[in-house]
Amino acid sequence: MSGQFRPSRRAMLKVGLAATATVASPAVLRSARADTGPIKIGLPLALTGALGSVGQQQKRGAELWAKVQNAKGGILGRQIELLIEDTAGNPANCVRKAQEMVERRDCRLLTGITLSSEALAVVPKLAEWDSIFISSDNGDGRLTAESLVPNFFRANISGPMGTRAVSLYLRSAKLQKFYALGLDYAWGHNSVQVFEQETTKSKKEFIGKVFAPTGTKDYSPYITKIRQSGADAVFLVLQGDDNNAFLSQAQQYRLPEKVKLLTEIVDLTSIRAVGDASLGLIGSSRYSFTYDHPLNAEFVALWKKEHNTVPDTFEGEQWQCMKVFEAGIVKAGGIEAAKLRPALEDIEIESVKGKVHIRKCDHQGVQQGFMVEVVKKPGFDTPVPEVIATFPGDETTPTCNTMTFKD
Amino acid sequence: MSTFGLLLSQFADALSQSALLFFLGVGLTLIFGLMRIVNFAHGALYMLGAFVGYSLAHWSGNYWVALAGAPMLVGLFGVAFEFSILRRLYRRDAHAFLMVTFGLALVVGEAVRLTWGSDALKVAAPPALSGVIFLLDEPFPVYRLFLAATGIVVAVAIWQFLERSRLGLLIRATSQNAEMANALGVDIKLIRSCVFGIGCGLAALGGVLAAPLVTASNGMAATVIIDAFVIVIIGGMGSFLGSLIGALLIGFVQVFGNYYAPDFALAFMYLVMLVVLVVRPGGLLGKEA
Amino acid sequence: MTGATRMKGATRMKGATRLICIVVLLALVLAPLGLPPFAMTLLTEAVILGLFAMSLDLMFGYTRLVSFGHAAAYGFGAYASGWLLLHTGMPLLFAVFAAGLLTGVLAIGIGWMCTLATGVSFSMLTLALAQLLYAISFKWTSVTGGSDGLAGIPRTIGPFGFAALSSKAGFYYLALGCLVGGFLVCFALVRSPFGAVLRGIRENESKTTALGYNTRLYKIAVVAISYGLGGLAGALYAPFAGFANTELLFWLLSGQVLIMVIVGGAGTLIGPVLGAAFFMLMEHQLSAWTEAWALYFGLIFIAFVLFAPEGIWGLATRRRRAHPRP
Repeated sequence: MSGQFRPSRRAMLKVGLAATATVASPAVLRSARADTGPIKIGLPLALTGALGSVGQQQKRGAELWAKVQNAKGGILGRQIELLIEDTAGNPANCVRKAQEMVERRDCRLLTGITLSSEALAVVPKLAEWDSIFISSDNGDGRLTAESLVPNFFRANISGPMGTRAVSLYLRSAKLQKFYALGLDYAWGHNSVQVFEQETTKSKKEFIGKVFAPTGTKDYSPYITKIRQSGADAVFLVLQGDDNNAFLSQAQQYRLPEKVKLLTEIVDLTSIRAVGDASLGLIGSSRYSFTYDHPLNAEFVALWKKEHNTVPDTFEGEQWQCMKVFEAGIVKAGGIEAAKLRPALEDIEIESVKGKVHIRKCDHQGVQQGFMVEVVKKPGFDTPVPEVIATFPGDETTPTCNTMTFKD
Repeated sequence: MSTFGLLLSQFADALSQSALLFFLGVGLTLIFGLMRIVNFAHGALYMLGAFVGYSLAHWSGNYWVALAGAPMLVGLFGVAFEFSILRRLYRRDAHAFLMVTFGLALVVGEAVRLTWGSDALKVAAPPALSGVIFLLDEPFPVYRLFLAATGIVVAVAIWQFLERSRLGLLIRATSQNAEMANALGVDIKLIRSCVFGIGCGLAALGGVLAAPLVTASNGMAATVIIDAFVIVIIGGMGSFLGSLIGALLIGFVQVFGNYYAPDFALAFMYLVMLVVLVVRPGGLLGKEA
Repeated sequence: MTGATRMKGATRMKGATRLICIVVLLALVLAPLGLPPFAMTLLTEAVILGLFAMSLDLMFGYTRLVSFGHAAAYGFGAYASGWLLLHTGMPLLFAVFAAGLLTGVLAIGIGWMCTLATGVSFSMLTLALAQLLYAISFKWTSVTGGSDGLAGIPRTIGPFGFAALSSKAGFYYLALGCLVGGFLVCFALVRSPFGAVLRGIRENESKTTALGYNTRLYKIAVVAISYGLGGLAGALYAPFAGFANTELLFWLLSGQVLIMVIVGGAGTLIGPVLGAAFFMLMEHQLSAWTEAWALYFGLIFIAFVLFAPEGIWGLATRRRRAHPRP
C-alpha cells in the first residue's frame, strides 16, 4: 500500500511557523539586564534521576539561604533571584541549561552542579561565559589541580580532603591493614589513590583495592574480596545507590563484624536508606548537623523551623557555598567576574563548619575536616553521625594545585 | 576461607543473583514471545514493584504482604495499560510499541518520584530471613538463599503453568501462531492482557525481592533494563527456558567475573551477549535466525 | 493481519513542498542575523541532533534495521573529532570530516558483525557493540579521559585560516551545511536504485534476495553510511559543546534518537530532523516549567502513538492513506 506524499501548502506552512514559533518564542527570546535589578544565581541541578536526592538537597539549601537573605534586604540592596533548572544528571543538558542562564537570562554566577561529569563539561566554558562558578559538592581533586580555571572556586570539602581526614584519624587508630573499594570513575580512583599514598606514608599496610562500576546491584563479589583480603578495615569511596546497596549487603554478610567500614562521605539520606546497617560506620563528613559551632546551631534551628527535620550533608554544603558568594559579592561591591574573582580569592568567612578561607593559589576553601561515627542516639529515630575527631584546615587541605599532602 | 568454602559461597551468591535476574528476564520474554513487544518500561515496572512493596511493608509492618501484594498490584496496572492503550496498537508497526513503552517508562519513572520522593527508601527483609547461616564457617545471608529458592520455585511454577495448565497452553499456542489460535476460538485479547499483566507482575516481583538488597531508589529502573534485555537476548527472545539459562549464565559470569577480573566488570555482560549472538544469532534457545 | 507494512514512499518533491522547503532553508540561513545568542545555540544543537536522527532514519525508516546502538556513531564521532582537535593541530573542518569518515569506516566492521543476525537479534547486536564501546571509552582513560571524557575541546582555526568557522555563526553554518549536505546525500541515495533495494529489504528481504541481490552487502553499506553521518553529527557536537564524554555513547541516547525518528516520522528524512528538534526543545522547555517534566514528556509520546502515528511530518503533511485502517 503506498502512501501519497501530498502535503497541503497550508500544512507545510504550519510546520514552518510552529518551528519558528518555538525557537522565537518569548521563552527563548526573553533576556534581562545585569547591572541593576535582582542578583541572579544559576543552579543547573540534577533534580530528577539517580542523583536527584543530592540535587534536591542543594536546591533546598540555596532556597533557604535566598529566602533568609532576601528578608534581610538581599545583597548590596538587590534581591536574590535563583535560577534553578533540572539537568537530570546529563552533562549535555547541564551545559545547555548553564549556557541559557548565561546567554539568555544574563546570569553570570553559577553554583550547584551535581555531577562531576557535568562540572567538568561546564568548567572550560566559564572564561568564554565570563561567569564565576563556586562548587558546593564537586569533589574531584583535579578541579583545583590540573583542571583549575580562574573562574572556578570550591567552597566544599573535596575528595582528597575527605580522604585525608580519614587517614589522619587512622594514624592514631589500631587498625593496620587496609583494603579499598571505590566506584569505578574519576572520584573513586582519585580518593583511593590518595588513601593509598597516605596509608603508605603512615607506615601502615595497604593490601589492595577494587573498583565497582556505578549501578552495581550485587556487591557479593566485592564483599567476598574484602573478606578474603585479610584487612582490618576497608576504605569505601561510594555514594548514592551504590553506597546503599553495599552497606545493606555488607551487613547481611556480617562483614562489619570482621572488617571495619571506613568511608569518605557520610550523609543522612544514606543512613535513612540503610537503617541499622550504617551503625558503626566511621567516615569523613562534609557537613553534619551535629557539628558543634554556634553558626551551625543557628542554621540547624532555622532549618528545623522551615523543614521540620535536620539538615543533611549537601544542604549544609550548599548553604556554606551561598555564604561564600554573599561575602564575595559584598567585598567586590558587584557581581562582574572581573571584580568578583579577586574578591573571592583570599576571602575568609565564618561558617557553619567554622572558618573557611578560599585560597588564592587554587581557589579551594580551606576548612576543618571532621570524622564522624554513626551511632544510635536517643531522640532520633535513625542513627546519627557523631563527631569523633576534628582536624584543622591546613592539615586536611592538600598543597596548592595538587592532590598530595606535605607530611 | 578455604578454596572450597570460597567457591561454595560464590556459587550460592551466583544462584541468588541469577534468581533476581530471572525474575527480570522472564516477564520480558513472555511479553515478547506473545506480543512481539520490546517492553522499554520493564525496568520502570520493576522499580514500581519495589516502591509499592515499600508502601505495603510500611503500612502492614510485614514484608510478606509486600511480597504478595506488589506483584499483584503492578500486574493489574499492566493489565489496565494493555487494555486501554496497547490493545489499539497490535495492527501497527513495531515502532508504535517502542515509543509507547518508552513513554510509559518516563511516566512511571516520574510518577514514582512524585509519589515517593527522590530519596532511597529502606525495605527491610522479614526478621525470619535476616539472619545468616554458616557455609563452612563463613556467614552467608539467609535472604539470598531465600532468593535462590524463590527463583527455583517460581521457575518451576511458570514452567508447569506453561506446560500443563489450559491458560499456559493457550499462551504457547498464541505465541506460536496468533492467527490460528484466533481461528480456533481462542480469545486472543484476553490472553494478551493476561500475559502483559503477568509479565509486569513478574518484573515487580523482581523489584520487591531486590529491595532489601539495594533499597527502593529512583535510579533502579535505568540499571536493570539493560540486564533484562541482555538475559532475554542471550536466552532467546520469547523462550522461557532461555530466560532461565540466560539468567544463570549472566549471574555466574558476573559473580565469578567481578571477583577474578573486576576490570572487565562493565563489559562482561556485553561480551557474553556478543559471543552468543555471533554463534547463535537467535540466542541460545531462540527461534529467530 | 498485524504489522502489514506501508510503503513510506519515495520522497518525491512536489512543487508546493519544494517552495516551502526553500523558504525554511532561507530562514535557517538567515537565522544568525535575527536570532539572539541563546536561540542560536539551541538552533545549532537542534541542527546537529537533526543530522544524527536523520542518519538513523536511513537504517530504520528505509531499511527497517532497528538500531539500539546508534549512540555509538555519535559518541565515536565526538571522541574522534574531540581527540583530533585536542591533540593534533588539525583545523576544525578537517577534524570534523575526518571523524565522520572514521566512524563510517568503523561502522563497516560493526555492520558486518550485526548483519550476522536479523530482526531483534540485529538490534541487540547493535546494542551490545555500542555498550562495549561505552565500556572501552570508560576504561581507556589515557585516550578517552575515562569517566571524565575530553574537555575543553577547541575549535581550532588551523593554518588555512578558516577563522569564520570557529565563530558562533560560522560554526552554525558548518553544522547547517553538514545537515543539508547529509540530507542531499540521503535523498539521492533513497531515490537511486540503491534506495530501491533498501526498500525491497524493508518490505520483504527474502524476496529481494531471491531477486539476486546480496542483501547483506546492502545492509552493511547502509549501516556504514548511516553511522558515518551519525558520526559526523557527533564530530560536530564535540567542538560545539566543548566536551565529549561517555554519556554520548550510552544506550539511553540510542533509545532517545530512535524515539526522535519515530516521533518525527520514520522513512521521511525530514521528519526525524523535526523529531530531533522537537525532542530537544520539548525536553528543554518542559524541564524549565516543571520538575515533573518527564511525566508530560512520556505522555506526549504516548499521545503521539495514539493520535499521530505518522509523527510530526505526518501531521504536517496529513497523508491520505490508500486504504483506511480498521
